Amino acid sequence: MSESASANAPKPSSSVKLVLLGEAAVGKSSLVLRFVNNDFQENKEPTIGAAFLTQKCSLPTRTIKFEIWDTAGQERFASLAPMYYRNAQAALVVYDVTKPSSLTKAKHWVAELQRQASPGIVIALVGNKLDLTNDGGDVSEAAVAAQNESESARDGDEGANEEDDVQDAVSGDARKVSTREATGYAEEEGLLFFETSAKTGTNVVDVFTAIANAIPESSLKTGRGTGAGTGQTSLARSAEDSRVNLGDRNAATAKEGCAC
Amino acid sequence: MIPWSSFVQKAQSLIDPANFNIPALSSPDHNPSKASLFRQQFRLPDSQNPLQEITADLVLPLPNSSANQADSTRRVDRPGNTYAGRLHLSERFICFSTQPTSFIPSATASASTTWTGQTHGTGPSGNGFILPLSCIRRVERLHSASHVFSLALTTWNGLLYKQQELNFVPQRLILQLVGSRQACERFCDTLKKGLREGMKEVDSLRTVVSDCYSEYLLSSAKAKGQDGKEADTRQPPDAGLGLIFRYPGDARKLRDRSKMRLWGEYFRENGRNVTLVRQPTFHKLIRVGLPNRLRGEIWELTSGSLFLRLHSPMQYQQTLAKFEGQESLAIDEIEKDLNRSLPEYPGFQSEEGIGRLRRVLTAYSWIDPEIGYCQAMNIVVAALLIYMSEAQAFFLLSVLCSRLLPGYYSTTMYGTLLDQKVFESLVEKTMPVLWDHLTKSDVQLSVVSLPWFLSLYINSMPLVFAFRVLDVFFLEGPKVLFQVGLAILRVNGEELLETQDDGSFISVLKSYFSRLDESAHPRSENPKLRAITRFQELMVVAFKEFSGITHSTITETREKHKGAVLENIETFAKRTSIRNLGPESKRLSVDDLGTIYDRFYETLYQWEQHQRVIEEETRRQERKKSSRLSMLAPPADTQVGRVGLGPSPTHMDYDAFREFLAATSKWAVADSPGPSRKGSSSGKPVSWANRRQPADHEFMQRLYRKWATDPEEGLDLQNVVNGLARLKGSPDIMNNISYFFDLYDDSGNGQVDREGILKISEALLFLSRRGFEGTITATLSVEHPNSADRDHADNSLNTDEKFLGSVSAFIRRCFEYADPSHPENQKTTQEDVTAEATEKLDSFAIGDDDDEEDLIDVDDAKSTNSPAPDVTPQSAKSPTAESDSYDHNRSTSESANQALDPNNPLHITLPTFRMVVLADELLEQFFESYFPQSFHLSDHPHPAALAASSSMSSNLTTFSNLGSIRSSSLSAGSTAPVAGASGGIVPPGKGLRGVLDNIVSDGIRMAAEVKKRMDEAQRDLERNALGREEEEDDEDEDDYPRRGGSAIAIPGGTPSWGAGAYGADTERRSVVRDADRDLLEGAEVLGGGREERSSLLDGKNHANHAPRKVSSSATSTKGGRSSSARDGEVISKLVDFES
Repeated sequence: MSESASANAPKPSSSVKLVLLGEAAVGKSSLVLRFVNNDFQENKEPTIGAAFLTQKCSLPTRTIKFEIWDTAGQERFASLAPMYYRNAQAALVVYDVTKPSSLTKAKHWVAELQRQASPGIVIALVGNKLDLTNDGGDVSEAAVAAQNESESARDGDEGANEEDDVQDAVSGDARKVSTREATGYAEEEGLLFFETSAKTGTNVVDVFTAIANAIPESSLKTGRGTGAGTGQTSLARSAEDSRVNLGDRNAATAKEGCAC
Repeated sequence: MIPWSSFVQKAQSLIDPANFNIPALSSPDHNPSKASLFRQQFRLPDSQNPLQEITADLVLPLPNSSANQADSTRRVDRPGNTYAGRLHLSERFICFSTQPTSFIPSATASASTTWTGQTHGTGPSGNGFILPLSCIRRVERLHSASHVFSLALTTWNGLLYKQQELNFVPQRLILQLVGSRQACERFCDTLKKGLREGMKEVDSLRTVVSDCYSEYLLSSAKAKGQDGKEADTRQPPDAGLGLIFRYPGDARKLRDRSKMRLWGEYFRENGRNVTLVRQPTFHKLIRVGLPNRLRGEIWELTSGSLFLRLHSPMQYQQTLAKFEGQESLAIDEIEKDLNRSLPEYPGFQSEEGIGRLRRVLTAYSWIDPEIGYCQAMNIVVAALLIYMSEAQAFFLLSVLCSRLLPGYYSTTMYGTLLDQKVFESLVEKTMPVLWDHLTKSDVQLSVVSLPWFLSLYINSMPLVFAFRVLDVFFLEGPKVLFQVGLAILRVNGEELLETQDDGSFISVLKSYFSRLDESAHPRSENPKLRAITRFQELMVVAFKEFSGITHSTITETREKHKGAVLENIETFAKRTSIRNLGPESKRLSVDDLGTIYDRFYETLYQWEQHQRVIEEETRRQERKKSSRLSMLAPPADTQVGRVGLGPSPTHMDYDAFREFLAATSKWAVADSPGPSRKGSSSGKPVSWANRRQPADHEFMQRLYRKWATDPEEGLDLQNVVNGLARLKGSPDIMNNISYFFDLYDDSGNGQVDREGILKISEALLFLSRRGFEGTITATLSVEHPNSADRDHADNSLNTDEKFLGSVSAFIRRCFEYADPSHPENQKTTQEDVTAEATEKLDSFAIGDDDDEEDLIDVDDAKSTNSPAPDVTPQSAKSPTAESDSYDHNRSTSESANQALDPNNPLHITLPTFRMVVLADELLEQFFESYFPQSFHLSDHPHPAALAASSSMSSNLTTFSNLGSIRSSSLSAGSTAPVAGASGGIVPPGKGLRGVLDNIVSDGIRMAAEVKKRMDEAQRDLERNALGREEEEDDEDEDDYPRRGGSAIAIPGGTPSWGAGAYGADTERRSVVRDADRDLLEGAEVLGGGREERSSLLDGKNHANHAPRKVSSSATSTKGGRSSSARDGEVISKLVDFES
């Protein structure tokens, strides 16, 4: 990973512990892989316990180094989760927009975090696999998709998990969780909310950027800066926009967010 | 030489077959039983038990091997090795080990665990052999000067196939038994029996052995030696995907060929696969790493999974065939991971490899549904499949899950979490500086080490090295994982001390793993030192420096942390499941939900265990009849399950539900303990027998059916919570009334018929028979002012008794205001219905005003109280009743009469029911407060503590009580000769005033039935209570001086029972309860005592293993602990004695 902002004068840097939670096979690891390596693999090795990765996110006023704990999704690993979300300052609770049960599970995680995690934890609710819906349809045909295919380590039949859902839907829109339902819930609980596609990259970086912005300055170990809410840079705005109109976003904007 | 058979005959004549091995049964071991230690050491299947053991010398004959002619001279000269050790016999195996062992029941506990100490790299079974009896071809008794008994075993080694190997000499082992003649003979006798059984299994032995690469290796070596062209007559057995896709690593660098040669030689001298004899070379050969093609087979052998396969050679194929085409959650989960298991190995990028992986994981998920599939199993199985066939991997996985990695892959993964705790505490003990650093910089060790254990280092280290770890792991057991883990931290200690956070910690280790093949001392002058790789260094550190980490260290540390880990998991599980109970549950407080949760699972587990014990008992009874040998099966696992241990039962059936209710509501406790439960009297644990017995009442069945989504399946937690939430969640009386009504609305059409009304009243009596716990108070307004006699009675009546009156009024009113269900009536128009309803309302109000005739009035109760519980009193009553009623309320009675006629079906609707209930203050209160509050959740002390049933008898509100009170007051005021419960004469005139007509008689019959049943129940109870009290009085009369008097008062009943008697009664009750509580406390102390004892062990072990640290202060605490533990023991004995 490289930092594009390296030319600039050194900004205060601070690290943020972020944990990913959510039902199995919603794409937690893929979101991280997209964010950290701007890559997508049809078949990632399963996460045993948790995977640890880091990525920097450069905000206008400071640099946030995300220490990402990507947890295993299988139900029985849930009892290990407290080990990973301990001291986390941010959490990404991921569900699959094509699978309503995964939103229920996500709600459980949110409730768990709100009660058990450190107070003031920033939680983002993320609906992944947007590329399987009509909203994400355009995007999946964009440039990024081509790139994925070349990078995919193994061949096609292994992508079955994600592709199955698409084929099931007659209309080509496999969406089963409406944006409105999820937004409503997120607002109720005071969560950040995004719909993303790890496959196409839609909104992935925006999620992390929004989290970086939402981390209260007081909870950062080092660094000064103008604070999360005030820095209305173009970057932050684009994140805001994405929350309103997801369909219009194209993959290119996602890339400009963080220095990856 | 005495022929074997005659020897056996002689032995048999001397030994009574009855006296062997029976004691093994009668000793129910709590800690790992001797049998399980035995199985663990020799890696035997669960069906095996230690039958005989004897000290013996194993004399290995001269090496007979070697096709090489040059060696033939050596054969003559070299003396065989002799090992001293213990010889063990189980049903199907004969085992010899140089490790000191003893599993015979007479052995002390400490002796039986010695093998868990240091093994010096020889594995827990040391040198020796583990032979299935089926592979023994012949046993001879040898003449020997020095030993009385010297046996020569000839095995099937190499003889299972027609093809003879070159220079083949049958394997012959000589065992010299050391012991009394009798002991030796007993041993031989058992051996003979086993051998006879073993002969039946030679065929499966042949099947199993044919899959072993060693057979192929030896036979093909011969073929090559004889004739090069003939070499490939036999296909090599499946030695894993590696045969197709190459084995990982560079075979030359691994020196695979020379390893293979060494193993070939070893096999020739010491037997192969099942007949292999372990000598020190065996362990050394494993330490240097197994050759690729033999790896699977040796894993199978050292882990003991070979014996499982031998036991049921076709289980894998059969399982696959049996479940073919079926779906399951596990299969879905497996499918998701198939493509991501060791993807870097080419075999798993092919359909072949993925297919094998799928089949093994799927088959296992079927035979072990409790585990099903857990991520990480895919990685482990994928690794196994590189070296072994599907069937081999299947059985090895089963050994992994059950013995080597206990609880790792369970649904709560408690084994994984537990071993992380164990690992952390070992790090703390062995590397305190590093531990301090980790704690200070807030690095959580387990986030790093968890995958090491969960996937056996397979995805942490490069594969070649992970397999080297596995080689030793399968031989020496789980401790290897800990030793290697500790060594990793030790080797990287300095670098790790510089890390400040999880991230850098992880990256240090990552880079270390990637350089395992590099030289550990790259700059060393010494070329030998330079040649040592980092991995070799790691192995040396692991097995030399951490040789103190033994199986017993692990077992003890696990024991120490188990409670806390399980509790953590359970807290998490409870928190999560309570939170996820849905909106309905929000009507109950979190505390209430917690109580329901705890009680739900407690009941389930208790019930489950109870069933198990009964089952085991019946099985044992059956077995006793059939055969003696099969009695040797392991005793029932009497451990009560708990949530943390893995998949919990999720549904309770009706009987378990009754247990649950009995723990929740007083009324659900049976009146007379014991007899109602069938088949439970024998063999149940004491704790269960002392519990409150749940009642069985129609009302409970209704509740069960109402709460269950599917009564067949049972009630899950959600059902119970929803059920209770509806009852307790809203204080709304209307809600409660309509809920009750719904319970009896069988057809679901909003109507309850005659039968239902009677059942409702029965239920009301059932629910109220233990009093109201102060939730209902009768005010003066309910009382009927019209009779002086009545007033007099009212004064002496308590709420319970008044409630009986209310119930009888309820029945009467119900019938009075019921709607006929005749078809022509149903045709009435809507207006009619409403008109009727208003009319009814009016009439109801009127009826309420001049409410004089309760169906079963307090006074009537006396008459219903008549001697024979059958119909006889009815005839006596009827005439008077009729004459009486004519004066009063003829019209009402007639309509009601009509209503009671079975030819005129009738029903009440919810509004009617509601009106009837609200018309009576007591009933109103019943539904408003008592009924919901009778379900005790967190807000009340656990009723079970109060519920020892004997103490309740006096608290029962029954007709007989009522009758006796009434009659006593009567006998005081009148001349009528009245006896209580047993009196048979109905006083004329007076008491019959309330008895109206036929309507009533029907109701009375019902009431009489109820009464009869309750009467009987109470008599039972009193008898019991009396008996019990007498017993207790014998024990300690001084403590409860009062009881003798009250005990007399109960059966006599009548004379002393007035207003005052009740008070005395409560006192009596509290005395009994105190006594019960004492018992309970005793039980608690007993539990505490156990804990103390285990912690005492910990203390000891701690002192043993870290002597430097603990030093003198520890010994003093040890002393203190041991004394308290002894106390615990003494108390537990006392409690046992008492109960």
